[in-house]
Amino acid sequence: MSYVKSLKCRECGRTYPKKPIYVCEWCFGPLEVVYDYKRIKKVLTREKISSREKNLWRYKELLPIDKEPMVGLNSGFTPFFEAKNLSKVLGAKKIFIKDDSVNHPTLSFKDRVVAVALSKAKEFGFKTVACASTGNLANSVSSHSKQAGFNCYVFIPANLEKSKIVSSLIYGVNLIAVDGNYDDVNRLCGEIASKYKWAFVNVNLRPYYAEGSKTYGFEIVEQLGWRVPKHIIVPAASGSLLTKIYKGIKEFKQLGLIKKSDTKFHIAQADGCSPIVSALKQNCDIIKPVKPNTIAKSLAIGNPADGFYVIDIVKKTGGFGEVATDEEIVEGIKLLAETEGIFTETAGGVTVAVCKKLVESKKISKDEEIVICITGNGLKTQEAVENKIGRPIKIKPNIKSFEEEVRVWL
Amino acid sequence: MPKKKLVKKIVKLVFPQELIKEPVTFRMAKKYDIMPNVRRAKVTKTIGESILELEGEENNIEKGIRYLKKLGVDVKPIEGDIVD
Repeated sequence: MSYVKSLKCRECGRTYPKKPIYVCEWCFGPLEVVYDYKRIKKVLTREKISSREKNLWRYKELLPIDKEPMVGLNSGFTPFFEAKNLSKVLGAKKIFIKDDSVNHPTLSFKDRVVAVALSKAKEFGFKTVACASTGNLANSVSSHSKQAGFNCYVFIPANLEKSKIVSSLIYGVNLIAVDGNYDDVNRLCGEIASKYKWAFVNVNLRPYYAEGSKTYGFEIVEQLGWRVPKHIIVPAASGSLLTKIYKGIKEFKQLGLIKKSDTKFHIAQADGCSPIVSALKQNCDIIKPVKPNTIAKSLAIGNPADGFYVIDIVKKTGGFGEVATDEEIVEGIKLLAETEGIFTETAGGVTVAVCKKLVESKKISKDEEIVICITGNGLKTQEAVENKIGRPIKIKPNIKSFEEEVRVWL
Repeated sequence: MPKKKLVKKIVKLVFPQELIKEPVTFRMAKKYDIMPNVRRAKVTKTIGESILELEGEENNIEKGIRYLKKLGVDVKPIEGDIVD
């Protein structure tokens, strides 16, 4: 049973039928899914959600599918826990971590959005799915497409690191390496998306795809005991994740599943790619595109589609935006590993570093609850830290050598 | 001579402060015989943005976009960056 009413333009409010479309014909604004909340309120309760399997589809009434979910049946419901050691080091009373570095099956929050996009692609009857990506999205679309039986095309810049190529190619997809820079790949994929009748997950399926991010917020609320935290720090590339966590929390409030929705949303970007934070700090709601230059490749979106909406949410909830330099990102990754035993990718390093800055600058009170969003796994971006951590201690295969080399710790 | 096929392209233009008061879209349209159709626009003291559809010969649209970029206008797809 479907609870989706229509698609709606986020700019002018015009409505459209449920189709694989993403832009308003009138004002070229982005389209968003609208639900029938009155009907959902009659059927969705905390008890019902809690009784379901622990994956993202436990919130299926608030996801844009018409039939039962078909893809990503093990994605979501990732760990959420109090990070006591990190809290102590940062001087904060209570920091929680929502840990999508162990999301199934490809270790990033992209498994949520791709699960939803590909379930929708099945409903629309697509045979082929596609995406353009330099990392997490490529891995997730590749993996899910095979499990779901789609033909799959993944477009990447030709100079992408070998490790990232392997983690998509292993699934046997059509991996297309475009001999050009980032802008060239973008332009070509835009043309391909409009020419071929494929499900291009973050283009013509974007309104549906993006809804998957709401489940990250739903889970935070549920795992926190059906309430919202005072602060949430979200890393931003296109900005979609932050806008959808916000939308999810508002939906829970509207449905009466939570009493309050007064979370302050803070945005974290890399210093080498911070178009949203820059606009926020300049108190401007027009995003000036930038050329990314950061080790946080998963956040390296210089022309973020949802930047304007992120600024709106951060401002109206009383949040802040902050950036992390490459050095601070590495320190953030190491800090999370050394305190909580979590090896996150560079985006997680940005979030931890920004959390540190916001607490130190008292923009976030150390006495208030903070949730930080860890969205990907460090095993995917080892090159970012490999020369900035310790070295193994080399010894000969005998006790004498061992005791000589490591005696300082004995 | 047969008429060349016209194409449409939707773009987002971001103007730096020094170009806000200049009629750069008009100049581009006139120079390359392109019909711009503005659907949304915003201007502040320091930056301007317009979302528009360009209609013209494909080759001319490419030239027009290059002209704008050379002047310092950011010409971007409205979808934002697709490579994610």
